[in-house]
Amino acid sequence: MPYDPHREDYLRLSLRFAHTLDNQTPDAAEHAFANFGRRFARERDSLPQTDSDRAFRLVADAAVLIDYKLPFTPPEQADDIAVRGQKLLSEALSLDPNSPDANRMLAASEQPSFDAFYSYLKVRVDEVRSYCEKQRSLMVQDENSQRTSLAMNITMRPYMRWIASMASNAVICGRNREALRLWAKAIRADPADEAGVRFTVALALTKLEDEQGLDKLVHDCRPLPTSRDGLDPWTLLCRAALAYKRYDLSAATAALKVLISNYPHACAALIRQRELPDGVFSRLATPSMSEDELIVAVSECTVLLQEGEEENGRGPFGLWVADQAAKLASPWELDEVKEAQRQVDEFLAHEREEDQSGNDEGGSRR
Amino acid sequence: MRPRDELTERIALHRREKLGPLSESAYRELVAAVRKDPSSFLDDPSDVAFSVLVDALDRYGKRMSNEEALDDNQWRKARKERLSCLASECENALAIDPACSDAALCQTLARNPFADELLASLFKLEAAAKAHNQHLYSSVGKDAWADVFAHGYLRIRAAIARACINTSRYRMAEKVCKELLATSPQDEVGARYTYALALARLEDEAGFDELDARGGRRGNSWLHLSRVILLYKLDRMSSAKRALCGFSHLVEGGAYALLRPIWVDSYIPDRPEEHPCSFGEATLAVHEADPIIVDTPDLIAWAESQPEVARDAKQFANARGFAW
Repeated sequence: MPYDPHREDYLRLSLRFAHTLDNQTPDAAEHAFANFGRRFARERDSLPQTDSDRAFRLVADAAVLIDYKLPFTPPEQADDIAVRGQKLLSEALSLDPNSPDANRMLAASEQPSFDAFYSYLKVRVDEVRSYCEKQRSLMVQDENSQRTSLAMNITMRPYMRWIASMASNAVICGRNREALRLWAKAIRADPADEAGVRFTVALALTKLEDEQGLDKLVHDCRPLPTSRDGLDPWTLLCRAALAYKRYDLSAATAALKVLISNYPHACAALIRQRELPDGVFSRLATPSMSEDELIVAVSECTVLLQEGEEENGRGPFGLWVADQAAKLASPWELDEVKEAQRQVDEFLAHEREEDQSGNDEGGSRR
Repeated sequence: MRPRDELTERIALHRREKLGPLSESAYRELVAAVRKDPSSFLDDPSDVAFSVLVDALDRYGKRMSNEEALDDNQWRKARKERLSCLASECENALAIDPACSDAALCQTLARNPFADELLASLFKLEAAAKAHNQHLYSSVGKDAWADVFAHGYLRIRAAIARACINTSRYRMAEKVCKELLATSPQDEVGARYTYALALARLEDEAGFDELDARGGRRGNSWLHLSRVILLYKLDRMSSAKRALCGFSHLVEGGAYALLRPIWVDSYIPDRPEEHPCSFGEATLAVHEADPIIVDTPDLIAWAESQPEVARDAKQFANARGFAW
């Protein structure tokens, strides 16, 4: 499951709170815990927490603003939201200057390019690992081993998110082998790959047209508790792309058909090919097999859909996918497919107008 | 492609077939006579069709050079017209000889189809070229380019390799280039240039080094540029910087071509000839690498941020009177 910032905030505080109940009678502990939810929602300051916990709450609030609100905010309000998010992160850093999440998220908005952000992440990755490992070693070992293991997992999550950020940034920068190297680091730090780095690795393998590599990845991830057995939208789109790249268009269509039959409103999403900004905290948490999950995957697959000689804002694979999606739509999807096509045409016409005014000002074929 | 040279050779070979064995000097005299006046030796329909194509390509080239002074709108119109004329003149050639693969190739390219459609058409052309000329493509042990009648087929294959790059099919491009190099190591169609770009895109350093070594490490715009792309993608930034400076120093106007790409028209029927490491060559390499460069979004900004490279580019622009 991808990381949900508010859920993680809740987990951190509930673990800390549960630990304080260890020496109480079962009745008292049960009564105290029954009140936890209310206190978390309304009297947070009354709960036991460190500065690092307070900082994480600010990080979680910033994450919700930047990742979940900002992409859907009208342009005239966007700056305001972005600035609020950055203020929360700065405040988080004043409480916990070492917070890897706050540092990383602030850097994402401050670094001038993908390249610069990638360098920022790469230079500090070992330091972040050491810091998280140290926090993990400070975890009090108690009789409840499940609780301990969850607490230890939580201390390593900032490092997992750092690696996930690096991997996704590497693919965006066109550095696919770098992304593959990060997979080994990711799986060592978290054998369950809760961050879902495997989906970014699938993209990198597809960019390198390494079909055997993708087969091995799916096979190796099969035993994981969060395994999707290759039926997640990233892997299915990668399969379609690999088949397209080897000019096996019927295999590519077959992969798209599996995607379309398993995800709601898939044809419209595959026609829109909406590009969203990557989550700054982590990949957006969406329910498995949902339309939202498909939209996030399609957005990350922009590196496949837009590659090559461009026409109408798409690369050849993107055009082919949109074309197939229109052909494969069921009768009850035709209206939404039409609407999706209309939206795309409107967007392209707007882009062409902007291009034209740019050309009139001095661009030319020369 | 050197259309008139190929026409001369085709006609001379056909004539020699008819006349029977000739001494070397007699054959040379025949070639000279054909070169002087090809039309008086034209009888084979395949040569007649080829001659129609040669004239069409001549006119196409002249029309292009007359477009310098036009504004953008006029130029767009003129380009559309010149492509349309070429397509219909190729139709005339094909009416005389449906097996004229160069006329079929030029017609397909002149119709200016989009990437996937172009690739599908090229595959059909390839199949047709093979079917019409079975005997031509089994040149075991010798370079296929030695046979002038095989040139069209080799040009189609080279166009397929480039179309694969444009449709993001890099392993396919790699495969076609490898086959072309095996069929014709002389590589007059420049398969190794397309191959270099594919290897850079696939981040295949070992493959790239091998290709470079096989070519005797003779640099040119494609190899120098591909090395920059490869090292950048592998995040070996100091080596990438050195390679970029190498590209800028060794290729005339290389920095300018990379930072201010010039629009390059479709290759009809194949890549124009340019001197190695000339500015003209650099513009072609940058044009062909474009889908790969766009896929590496910060590469140009990084290149422009290298003071030496930006300075070289500006100096070149000033010297040539180009916009900066």
